[in-house]
Amino acid sequence: MNILLFLIPISLVMIGAAALLFAWAVKHGQFDDLDTPAIDILRDDDVPAPQPPREKAGDDAD
Amino acid sequence: MAEVCHHCGEPLLQPAVRADVDGAARGFCCEGCAAAARWILDARLDDYYRLRSVPAGRVDADAPALAAWDREELLAGHARAVEGGREITVLTDGMRCAACAWLIDRALARESGVLDSTANAITGRIRIAWNPALTTLSQPLARLASLGYRPYLATGEARERARRSERNRDLLRIGLAGIGAMQAMMFAEALYLDTRGEMPLPTRDFFRWITFMVSTPVVFWAGWPFLVGAWHELRGRRLGMDVLIAGSTLLAWAASTIETVRGGVHVWYDAAVMFVFLLLVARQLEQRARGIASAQVDALARARPAFATRELADGSRESVPLDALAVDDIVRVAVGEPVPADGVLLDDDARFEESLLTGESTPVSKHAGDAVYAGTACREHAARMRITEVGAGTRLAELARLVETAQAHRPALARGAERIAGWFVAGLLLAATAVYLWWRAHDPARAFEVTLALLVISCPCALSLAVPAALAAAHGALAKIGVLSVRPDALDRLARVTDVVFDKTGTLGDGKPHLQGVDACIGIDADKALCIAAALERDSSHPLAAAFAHVAGVPTAANLRAVAGQGVEGMIDGQRWRIGTAPFAIGQDDDGAIWLGNAAGARARFAFAERERPDAARAVARLREQGLALHLASGDAAAPVARFAEAVGISDAYARQSPEDKLARVRALQADGRSVAMVGDGLNDAPVLAGADVSLAIGDGAALAQRAADLVLSGSALGNVPAAIAIARRTRRIVRQNLAWAVGYNLLALPLAAAGVVTPWLAALGMALSSLAVTANALRLTRVPSR
Repeated sequence: MNILLFLIPISLVMIGAAALLFAWAVKHGQFDDLDTPAIDILRDDDVPAPQPPREKAGDDAD
Repeated sequence: MAEVCHHCGEPLLQPAVRADVDGAARGFCCEGCAAAARWILDARLDDYYRLRSVPAGRVDADAPALAAWDREELLAGHARAVEGGREITVLTDGMRCAACAWLIDRALARESGVLDSTANAITGRIRIAWNPALTTLSQPLARLASLGYRPYLATGEARERARRSERNRDLLRIGLAGIGAMQAMMFAEALYLDTRGEMPLPTRDFFRWITFMVSTPVVFWAGWPFLVGAWHELRGRRLGMDVLIAGSTLLAWAASTIETVRGGVHVWYDAAVMFVFLLLVARQLEQRARGIASAQVDALARARPAFATRELADGSRESVPLDALAVDDIVRVAVGEPVPADGVLLDDDARFEESLLTGESTPVSKHAGDAVYAGTACREHAARMRITEVGAGTRLAELARLVETAQAHRPALARGAERIAGWFVAGLLLAATAVYLWWRAHDPARAFEVTLALLVISCPCALSLAVPAALAAAHGALAKIGVLSVRPDALDRLARVTDVVFDKTGTLGDGKPHLQGVDACIGIDADKALCIAAALERDSSHPLAAAFAHVAGVPTAANLRAVAGQGVEGMIDGQRWRIGTAPFAIGQDDDGAIWLGNAAGARARFAFAERERPDAARAVARLREQGLALHLASGDAAAPVARFAEAVGISDAYARQSPEDKLARVRALQADGRSVAMVGDGLNDAPVLAGADVSLAIGDGAALAQRAADLVLSGSALGNVPAAIAIARRTRRIVRQNLAWAVGYNLLALPLAAAGVVTPWLAALGMALSSLAVTANALRLTRVPSR
């Protein structure tokens, strides 16, 4: 049973590490937006798009 | 199936705007949507159309004035310096799904001078960092607006930070409770598995102390909100949910600690931590659903940088913040802008749309010296005015005050669950005392332990989960159909409703004038009159012009001349025609109608009316099926109100109602013991929205109305009203089932505990099962009922 004296402190250290890790993630905004990243992967965004043509001035519709 | 706009999914008007997008000719409802779609395609962001789960919002073709965003006094309070530039958080009401956030991020990244941006579709907030040396802030904002995401002012840097840090603290509490609960249960497992008591005492106590170490921070730090809530309830002499929760966690923890020190038979640390964890999660879910809704509504109410254009003595103009305006200042109001304060008109004549204030659907003509009110919108051409009242003295502020007092006098609602909780606590204490005394008499050694077991197993877990779990699920279901529930007890109130009072303009109707037909012709046939009218109105910016847009076979008019506030004249086939108000077109007294005339005098009169929203009649019918009594109360004139009531099928209609009248009407119904729901959109509805038992505001209405309401319908789908009521009623049913289950579980568990046969592992199992049953039952609410 002496092994317990060794194993349990180890598990406690692990809890502490997990808690710290979670705190770090929360503080750095990892949980701020849980929806957008999911669709970010659905396309590759490696081509920087050409500058879109400037819209013609004065086509305001009123 | 009618063709819909490729961008926003609204039904197409004729003639639709056609544009070549995505390799095919697509139809758009307006230039704004077409321009947005073209830009999206040019920027190679057309994946947006594949990714999105709901259509975009409609894009306004006329760009909003964004110059105010570049003013230093605004940026000083809202932007903060970051490396390489400044950063600001803006709100938008157009973000519908994650694809919108994706599109915004990409679109802003293509703007020069934007350093970084993050859009969050859940909260409707966009963070933009930009380099002031390269671009003004209004540039990227104009891009946002052109895609249909109109920027609004968020609540200011300090508040945004406070909101984020509070949310982060809640998340941390849940995370810590989760980690701690898992570990505590793991150690508890070791103790449970020792069924025959073979574990040496030192080992057992070692395990207990370790569990104590792990669970103490969970109970006191993660469970802190419950402890504070309980303290407040006790100070207010109430026994509520928080007392129950805090009481039972503290009890389980304290009892376990005492037993650990004494070396007693049982410990219940796992019960305490599991309890904290489950309740935190339930509460967070419920708050999140509601918090999102109220964050958006609340912020939009304070929206938009508010500036007015003041005229100086030398005739030059300057733009000043609203609160810098003083009485006797001369102010210019541009077309479509809201009037900044109450005042008198200086121009000879101008038109103002007062529908938000009075419910009247047609713009009102005003002459020099007439009063104009803050919050009404200027139409057709710019106006000059002299301010007579600012701030708290305006009619708008009066309405806002009326809203506050109405809210304060709301019929109180007995909180069913709270009451049950109070009874439960009282009953439990009685039972515990009785059991303790009985055991004292029969087996003093076991009295304390049995009483503790009784208190722990009677775990009010299921009871305290019953309501929040159901509410969280119901809010989720509401959000899915596009109803934002802003107040905590909105659902409860909605479930009790017996009467629904509708506003007309902008609620049942769409608030725009439509051509009903030609109701009088003199020596000309109706079709010809229509053609001539359409020819005259073709290029006019008159609000009625759109009503003639569908007329086909229009001749060409020459020498068109628009007379502001009066009408249009022009030459058609060599004849001079005039269309407009009676004095202008036919030289008679103004009767409020639109006339067409030529040199020979009056030729035709056109009837305009507001059209009911397409789903109004069906929504009304469904509400009636649900057994609700329906009323219509509108500020508009008797004739249109009567016609409307007929069209949608409401028999009980009142016209010419001021905000105070509407409130009195609702009060009268309440005095008869009815429970009233109000559906409205305008400033003039705000007081009655606040005074009704429960209120729903239309999403594209006035911000003040939304702030006064309990629920906000995003968009204008009236079909959501019966759907929301159905969800509310189902929620009430499920809450009752849950409470019944929780009480039933206790009736079963208490006798067992009193008999002294309950061990901690049995208690933990019972708790877990009852909580799971309640949660599973609540999850049935997430299924959205068919519309």
